[in-house]
Amino acid sequence: MKYPLAFDCEIVFESYGVRVKLEATTAELLKDAEQIARKALLNRLRTVESRDVDHTFGFAQDENATIYLFQNGEVVSFDSSRSRFFKFFNSILRIAVAEYAQGSVFIHAGVVGWRGKAIVIPANSFQGKTTLVAELVKNGAEYYSDEYAVLDADGLVHPFPRDLSIRDDNFREIDVPAAELGGKTGVNPIPIGAVLLTEYDAKSEWEPQRLTVGQGIMEMIPHTIPRNFNTEFSLKVLNTAVTDAIILKGSRGDAGAFAIKILSYFDSLLT
Amino acid sequence: MNNTQRPIARKSGLVVQEVPDEVLVYDLESNKAHCLNQSAAMIWRSCDGNNSVSEIAKLVESQAGGKVTEDFVWLAIDQLSENNLLEKQISSSFEGTSRREVIKKIGIASVIAIPVIASLVAPQSALAAASCSCNNPGSCGNVPNAGCPNTTNCNGAGLCAP
Repeated sequence: MKYPLAFDCEIVFESYGVRVKLEATTAELLKDAEQIARKALLNRLRTVESRDVDHTFGFAQDENATIYLFQNGEVVSFDSSRSRFFKFFNSILRIAVAEYAQGSVFIHAGVVGWRGKAIVIPANSFQGKTTLVAELVKNGAEYYSDEYAVLDADGLVHPFPRDLSIRDDNFREIDVPAAELGGKTGVNPIPIGAVLLTEYDAKSEWEPQRLTVGQGIMEMIPHTIPRNFNTEFSLKVLNTAVTDAIILKGSRGDAGAFAIKILSYFDSLLT
Repeated sequence: MNNTQRPIARKSGLVVQEVPDEVLVYDLESNKAHCLNQSAAMIWRSCDGNNSVSEIAKLVESQAGGKVTEDFVWLAIDQLSENNLLEKQISSSFEGTSRREVIKKIGIASVIAIPVIASLVAPQSALAAASCSCNNPGSCGNVPNAGCPNTTNCNGAGLCAP
């Protein structure tokens, strides 16, 4: 399908300083897209009257019920599965906002609060990030996010508390609110106390290496979403954020036992 | 060994961030991040196109307060050149000697930390780095998605997974 010359309906919203236009060939498609956008960005968006936008996402459907997604005029996805289509849109919208956010640096990481400081766990998908965050929350840590550490210009971490996206053995994702784990959600921005660069390895014992600030930032760069768009600001914020943090790197075993061990370890260090 | 060369530190296309005792350099052209320890950073800063290797050795010696040999400087220049942090590539001066052997030789004699540059390539695509999301099987075969559970299948939930 070519880029439709005319979309029948549109909305423009702003989230984290990024202006996004959603346009669709039908009101129903636009409604679905807006609903997903609100979910993806935790409803942290407000509609604005503006022609000047950073990103445009277009939605069109053909006669075979295949839906097409256009990003800034280019087809980026088409699918006959509505749920899979909108899940993909959810991902790329969140990334687009995270990459172009004004005044914030989004790090792909799990985050919990402990003793007034943030424990940040940067990691790629499928490295056990959410599992570990869930265990930390079950053991009393405050939930901040299982996806993004949102840093402000002063290096403080703000909550991005979407429901935890827990996967079952068949890779199905179940959204679980932190409250269901018996946890509380953090509200206030807090400084980073520790960065854990870790991934699950059943055979591993936790014998971490303590990294310098420079080494730690370097390990965090691949997880820093705006590293290409706003490199200078990103590095400056990372530097401010982790200068006083304990940065540890190493493989870990079972998340449950590890969570207890790590909270106990940080009990004395983070106060 | 050609010690009359006057290396020049590259400036364009780099973002430099000073951190405690280290310097971080992000190469916008290659998406590579480099972490220079203090010794490597001092030598890099001295590469102004006017200083020869022996002059750089003297400069660093006066700043670091310990004996700095030309081999010590070459060890840094070798790594700076390899990581494209100099305006012009300079070939290794350690003819017939491996870097490891040079490090061993310098390390025993030096009271200053030997120059070290650690490097890492960041994935170009933010989406690929942060997600195993997919919309077709082809998108799971991209190199950055190699860490996903499956690199050939985009499942019904839109994940590169079985």
